[in-house]
Amino acid sequence: MKNKLILFLGLFLSVSLAAFAQDNISPARKQAIDSLALEKVKDLSKYIAIIGSKETQFSEANRVMDRAEELFAPGAEMGVSSINTNEIAYYKVRNYFERLMALNYDRVNITWYDIQYISDLERQPDGRYVGVITIYQRFEGTSIETGMNYRDTTKKDITIYVEKKQTQIAGRTIEFWDVMLGDVRVTETSA
Amino acid sequence: MRKTFLIFAFFIAIISSVPGQGLGGPGTIKDDGRFAASTKQLNQFFRRFNGEESVDGNTRFYPGDSLYQTPALRKGFLSILFDNQTSSITPEVKQKFTQFVLSDVYPHYLNFHREGWYAEVDTEFIFKGKREKVTLIMKIQAERLGFEWVIDQVIFEPFKNLFNKPVGESKDFLHPLSHELGFMNLRRAFQDSKLPESFTPNSYKPDYLSVFLYEMKQNNLRFDTVTGVKFHFFQINGWYFEVNQFNRPGFNTGWLISNLVQLGPGDKETILKYIYDQD
Repeated sequence: MKNKLILFLGLFLSVSLAAFAQDNISPARKQAIDSLALEKVKDLSKYIAIIGSKETQFSEANRVMDRAEELFAPGAEMGVSSINTNEIAYYKVRNYFERLMALNYDRVNITWYDIQYISDLERQPDGRYVGVITIYQRFEGTSIETGMNYRDTTKKDITIYVEKKQTQIAGRTIEFWDVMLGDVRVTETSA
Repeated sequence: MRKTFLIFAFFIAIISSVPGQGLGGPGTIKDDGRFAASTKQLNQFFRRFNGEESVDGNTRFYPGDSLYQTPALRKGFLSILFDNQTSSITPEVKQKFTQFVLSDVYPHYLNFHREGWYAEVDTEFIFKGKREKVTLIMKIQAERLGFEWVIDQVIFEPFKNLFNKPVGESKDFLHPLSHELGFMNLRRAFQDSKLPESFTPNSYKPDYLSVFLYEMKQNNLRFDTVTGVKFHFFQINGWYFEVNQFNRPGFNTGWLISNLVQLGPGDKETILKYIYDQD
């Protein structure tokens, strides 16, 4: 009886370990996930530029906001701070986009620096992986009437959630890694 | 040391002008090397300290890679991980620390999952209608399938004066034969005295974190915002250092070592007590 129990426990442990090992992310897999995450960040950057542009029609901006919102996990927030204040102002993603759209500039130009940094992926208690991608954005706004020019460079630290999911294709179960964006920390830089 | 910093920062600036994968493409702005040189995340601080990524930060090195944790790479990175503009760390202490960390016989590394590092998070809460500063001391712990940050201690001024246990003659007490009277004199402790903490053992230490959580549950405390973050490291045996974020023009920016102390016997406990109690 005792031997049977040991055998059963041994088998159980080896199965658990195998399952655990399966969930580890290899360097090659990490690279593929990084690329996927960067694609999503690229999409977000594109959407932000469209939403911020004065040439974008209201209905089109709303449609793009919907697309942009789909990139994010539910409840994601933007935490914004400026050089003058360390305090973080919190906005829901949709609210942030709406504020961006409502800016009172006649010309808005949003561009990105050719540099980004991707962190390691860390596993959280629920088994999902979390990482952070850092990018830099330059914002330029011009008001024709007042001739005012506003320019800032912000650092955006974007949370990414990585999860293994399953789908059925032609009766077969296919596993894949899905990436969702999470909270974004926006910090004004001195650049 | 300053020379090494300049050479390495310049090297990063040059390397970063080589386009990699990412947001690049038409319309992007070329970084002049400042963002590449910046230690952009604490994760990058770990990787640079350990020599686990390429100079431009685009390639992560893993065990088995030829450059993984090589002393030359680490030496270059270490030189740019100090705040070289405002901190008062002397070149001698920096050099001693660098030599210790890069020792041929027993090199030292930082480990994200290992104990011995803490986050100090400055926040603002609304306490009974008034804005108050609260400092949270946080640490990483293993939990189920992964890891999580947890609050280990809270430093909150209004609580400091809440428990002022008197000492000496001014301290009230329950006399040693109270038990013979069925502790009827507890009335004195709980009704007459304004300092019930007088009747606690010598070892009594108020648990501010529990009081803090209680006040939050009573809706007396409402979180407002985070105003600052820094990190304390004790992972390098015999050394303590503090890491702060520097947001300023130039190449010496991001998460950098702002304070470095070689520890003597008992120093670690003293610094930890200072961090946790802030007395």
